[in-house]
Amino acid sequence: MEIAYYPGCTLQQSSSLYDVQSQRVFKELGIILKEIEDWNCCGATSAGKYDDFIAIAMPSRNIGIAEQDGYSEMVIPCSACYSRTLVAQQRLADDPALKDEINAELTKKVKGGLKVSSILEVLLTTVESGMLADKVVKKYKNLKPVCYYGCMMTRFPYGVPVPDDVENPQGMETILKTLGIKALDWNYKTDCCGASAAINDHDTSINLMAKIMQDAIARGANCFVVTCPMCQLNLDAYQDEICKKHEIQERLPVFFITELVGLAMGLSPKELQVDRHFVDSVSLVQELDKELEAA
Amino acid sequence: MEQTAKAPVLEFKPEIANPLVQEVMERSGQPLVACYQCRRCAAGCPVGEETGYITPDRLIRIINLGDREKALSNALVWQCVSCYTCGTRCPNEIMTGRITETLKKMAKETHVEPLKPKVAFFHDTFVKSGLRWGRLNEGEFVSFYELKNFFKDLSRFKFKAIYEEIVSQIKLALSMMGRKRLHFGVQSSKGRKELNRLFKKSKAKKQA
Repeated sequence: MEIAYYPGCTLQQSSSLYDVQSQRVFKELGIILKEIEDWNCCGATSAGKYDDFIAIAMPSRNIGIAEQDGYSEMVIPCSACYSRTLVAQQRLADDPALKDEINAELTKKVKGGLKVSSILEVLLTTVESGMLADKVVKKYKNLKPVCYYGCMMTRFPYGVPVPDDVENPQGMETILKTLGIKALDWNYKTDCCGASAAINDHDTSINLMAKIMQDAIARGANCFVVTCPMCQLNLDAYQDEICKKHEIQERLPVFFITELVGLAMGLSPKELQVDRHFVDSVSLVQELDKELEAA
Repeated sequence: MEQTAKAPVLEFKPEIANPLVQEVMERSGQPLVACYQCRRCAAGCPVGEETGYITPDRLIRIINLGDREKALSNALVWQCVSCYTCGTRCPNEIMTGRITETLKKMAKETHVEPLKPKVAFFHDTFVKSGLRWGRLNEGEFVSFYELKNFFKDLSRFKFKAIYEEIVSQIKLALSMMGRKRLHFGVQSSKGRKELNRLFKKSKAKKQA
């Protein structure tokens, strides 16, 4: 099966490991991700604070490309890109005049009807079909993850059909269960890490992340699982600073969901680029592997 | 007993209040007048501890009472992280996160100095960088953003802030480099021409 793939800017740069993992993991599951041609920046959350029209127009162009190139579904691993694209699509569907206005400047015009999927939605189809369970070769029973969804997987700035429970989403938990991993229940799964505030309002963001970190530790977690590259970078790159400021001894690896799926399917940490995290994550994987060998 | 911080008492004048409420409602698409001050938004707001007495419900009240100056310049407008928790919990479906976004744009258009200049710089620079190349180049974008900060701080003689910013960004850059997470190449999309035509269209509409 082939589906359209929108990596977004960050998956080509600071979070390119997520791009590598996504392509590799889906290939293993028989889904080929076809990167759409000449895609552009979605504008992320900044565009909505800058200019309403351009915030809709930027993702619209990508939707047009996917539709005109004959795809019926497009997967977007980055939560911000996913949210912006889904919202733009709904806005165009609700406002034909706006759609005409944007289409007037686009070479590949938006028709409507493309299914915009998050990485969880696509992974969940492989859970349903039994494909994922068939591919699992390692069951990390001692991994105690907390699933961190952040804001953009369930809360949207405009009325779109939300694919999971707004306050207590279960997508990641369901996928992990198929991998033989039991995720812990906790309070901060949909709280905000501060996102861009880590750069432009640093102290606020550090305080928000400290609460997330503290609850994860209180629940006995030994890692985070995320889908959003912004949450990943923030919790990973600033974790040392957060912990020092708030006197937290523990450090928790922040895995992308694709990383755990890949590891469970027997892909090597090297191939999945697990060594590119800020918080040492390879040690935990090696430890779990040793336990599996011993068992 | 010492009084805790309170919002200033405002006298309601419909001729002053109505135009502001109307403008914010239209631009944000949020039904501000439906707010009955239940404060569920305030209970869930993650930046509540940072913004002092201005919680989402009070921001709405300020707008509904027509205090334009206060509405455009307060901690919530500039520290809101757009997590949209307020909107998902509001019984009247008012998303204050959309209102703060609208107020940021209104502040810019009427040349009101942002309470947190860094926040405004960040979003401006981000979109401009995205439009310039068609794709965002993280290194270029952060450099431009830091340059703007630098000159702003310099003009206010905030040397300590400049020093701290430089140290923290160099630390981050070095640790990103160590994990091959810092990229120096430029990525672009030919689609930037189409996007810039659309952006011109939007600007022209605003001026009309």
